Amino acid sequence: MSAITAPLRRSRPDLDGPADRHLRVVEEPVRRHTLAYAVVMIALFAAAVFGAVTLNALAAGASVDARALERHVGEAERVYAQLVADVATLEDPARVRQAALELGMVPPGPVRHLTLERTLPADGAVPPARTPDATTDPLKPLLSQER
Amino acid sequence: MRRPALPRRARVSTTLRSGDQLSVRRIRWTLAIFAVLVLATMAKLVEIQVVDAADLAAISERQRARTLDLAATRGRIYDRDGDVLATSVQAATIYADPRAFRATSTPDGLEVPAAADAAEVAEALAGVLEQDVATLTERLERDRHFVYLARQVDHELGEEVRALELPGIGVLVEPQRLYPAGPLAGQVVGFTDIDAKGLQGLEARYDGVLAGEPGTLLLERAPGGLEIASGVRELVPPQAGTDVVLAIDRDIQHVAELAATEAMDRYRAIGASIVVTEVGTGDVLAMASTPGFDPNERGAEDPSDRRNRAVTDVFEPGSTQKALTIAAALDEGVITPTSQLAVPGTIEVAGSRFSDSTPHDGTSWSVTQIMERSSNVGTIQIAQELGPERLEHYLRAFGYGRSTALGFPGESAGILRPHEEWWGTSLPTIAIGHGVAVSLLQLANSYSTIANDGVEVPPRLVLGTVGDDGRLSPARRADQERVISADTAATVRSMLEEAVHGEHGTGGMAQVEGYRIAGKTGTARKPKADAVGYSDQYFATFVGMAPVDDPRVVVAVMIDEPWPYYGGLAAAPVFSEVMEAALLALRVPPDGAGADLSTAVRRAAEQAERIADAEVAAADAAARAVEEGGPGAGDAAAEAPASEQAAGAPAPP
Repeated sequence: MSAITAPLRRSRPDLDGPADRHLRVVEEPVRRHTLAYAVVMIALFAAAVFGAVTLNALAAGASVDARALERHVGEAERVYAQLVADVATLEDPARVRQAALELGMVPPGPVRHLTLERTLPADGAVPPARTPDATTDPLKPLLSQER
Repeated sequence: MRRPALPRRARVSTTLRSGDQLSVRRIRWTLAIFAVLVLATMAKLVEIQVVDAADLAAISERQRARTLDLAATRGRIYDRDGDVLATSVQAATIYADPRAFRATSTPDGLEVPAAADAAEVAEALAGVLEQDVATLTERLERDRHFVYLARQVDHELGEEVRALELPGIGVLVEPQRLYPAGPLAGQVVGFTDIDAKGLQGLEARYDGVLAGEPGTLLLERAPGGLEIASGVRELVPPQAGTDVVLAIDRDIQHVAELAATEAMDRYRAIGASIVVTEVGTGDVLAMASTPGFDPNERGAEDPSDRRNRAVTDVFEPGSTQKALTIAAALDEGVITPTSQLAVPGTIEVAGSRFSDSTPHDGTSWSVTQIMERSSNVGTIQIAQELGPERLEHYLRAFGYGRSTALGFPGESAGILRPHEEWWGTSLPTIAIGHGVAVSLLQLANSYSTIANDGVEVPPRLVLGTVGDDGRLSPARRADQERVISADTAATVRSMLEEAVHGEHGTGGMAQVEGYRIAGKTGTARKPKADAVGYSDQYFATFVGMAPVDDPRVVVAVMIDEPWPYYGGLAAAPVFSEVMEAALLALRVPPDGAGADLSTAVRRAAEQAERIADAEVAAADAAARAVEEGGPGAGDAAAEAPASEQAAGAPAPP
């Protein structure tokens, strides 16, 4: 008598049972376009990367332009401030006086004052009868004899 | 002997049990190790992200972020017409990092050679910076990280140095304070130090307004130093300083300074001050003091020349004080304009004898004549009627013994002791302008009160500030106070007019053609600097106003130690010169009995003739110098402007 037990015998499937009990006829599954999907995703990813890089590059470019503009503005402000100082230096009364003296000008003597004795046409008034000495230029002032 | 086989089921079961245990043990060890690693990682993460987060973030920021300080542009200082008296420009500052000129070693012991040779760099810089090679080399070899080589030089010079691309040499942009008109109003405007901090004058007084607020720029930089264009960039813009507009008129200031300088030369004085104020507004149109200084080159000047003597120095007003004494007596009704006083030749008070400058045996003078002749005795008699209490009250009301509203740095309040502390001779001496001390501005202010119908308008140097919108924000006005009545003021003005235009007036040389001038001379001895008593030196003063009926301008002149020392001889002509220029600048129509047209033409012809004669004389002198071959003589004659020789400085009277 052998001590080895006999293998268990499996029961045969019941082929005679109803066919739809374990297997059934199904339609062919819809074929997924895996490749296209991958391509689209890669394209989207590439576009996103490209967009990000482009935006970054544009931002960097704009930043460089902004820096250049700032430098330009700074330089313009520097030049303006220097010109203001230069103009003020040139307008210095002492410098103007010295330059005038070097050019042969002399300080004026006592200054006389002139007063207009009649109204001007520009004031809307009818000019009075002109004196013989002032016949042409209506703006020519008359020396006041009253002072 | 064959070992009996175990039953199959039993043997398999035993083998599986042993393997499972081994695997489980290994898995458990692995899990434990993994757990430890995870925990360690977690702990490190917690340490980095939580415990040391702030420090690490700071280290990171230090590595890539850099904060630049942006200096604020200091505000400008303008005169009343918008002409620039002080402004700032961008200058270049050259610096060096001496580490670049010496070999070093890394912490690992690697030798790092010097980037350049200090002597070669100094040689390259010496010509550009106009400095000695040895000096530059010494600076480049100092044991420091930062050394200035030249501060606040021209921008173009900085660009030149930058173009050399020398290792270890850098160029910074720094604001530099400039005073385009040089010494014009130097003591008034003051100056800043090299770091643009106000040190003196209005630069110091309004430093908080002019300075502005510095800004910062935070940006990220790559290890190489290049800025990360898309990195963080935070800008806190600097707030520029506010511009300040002064009441000073640049042209009148120039005339006043020129007159003061010429007066110093003409009268061999050690100093002179002139103040010009506008009546009604209190605007200080000019405040000149000589010797002056150029704020752009302050290192080369005598520090004592930097002070604004018109407000910092005090002196005894002398006879100019008499107008205030008489004004007080008139306002109190002690005297009337028609009062006649018996004026003796001398008067003795508390054992001291006082006399007039022009001796007389005693006479009867009206108050106007006392003013016209500048009588000490008559004025003392009036002051005795007024009494010390009222005299002190009026003098303080006129501004004596207190600072003006200017708030100018170093301004003196003058000296006027309370009448309770006066001794026997105080009343007579103070009445005639001794025993008290005032600044020239105080003296001008007191006369402005008389000119302004008795109402004191505190003087002002600053009209206001200019905001971001470019509009002037007027400065707050100080309160006005009536000191004497309008009638009293008008009466005093008419008396002062006699002092200038009267037959016996002491201020005849203060006249200005075409205008009626009211003013008073003053001559006072200087106190000894190192002892009690008076020296043999004098202050000559003149204060006046014009036109008399409706004064527009007050001019005060003080000359320190002139010769001749009389106010009527030294200060009055200077007053005339400055007053004429001020009246013309302000376009004040004449009110006096000016010369008619024919006289004007004749004077113009005389002037032209003098100029022609002077030119001929100059040509002759030059020709003689050339003939004699003497160096310098011909040059001097040729260089002297014909105008100066013709119109020239009037000879000392």
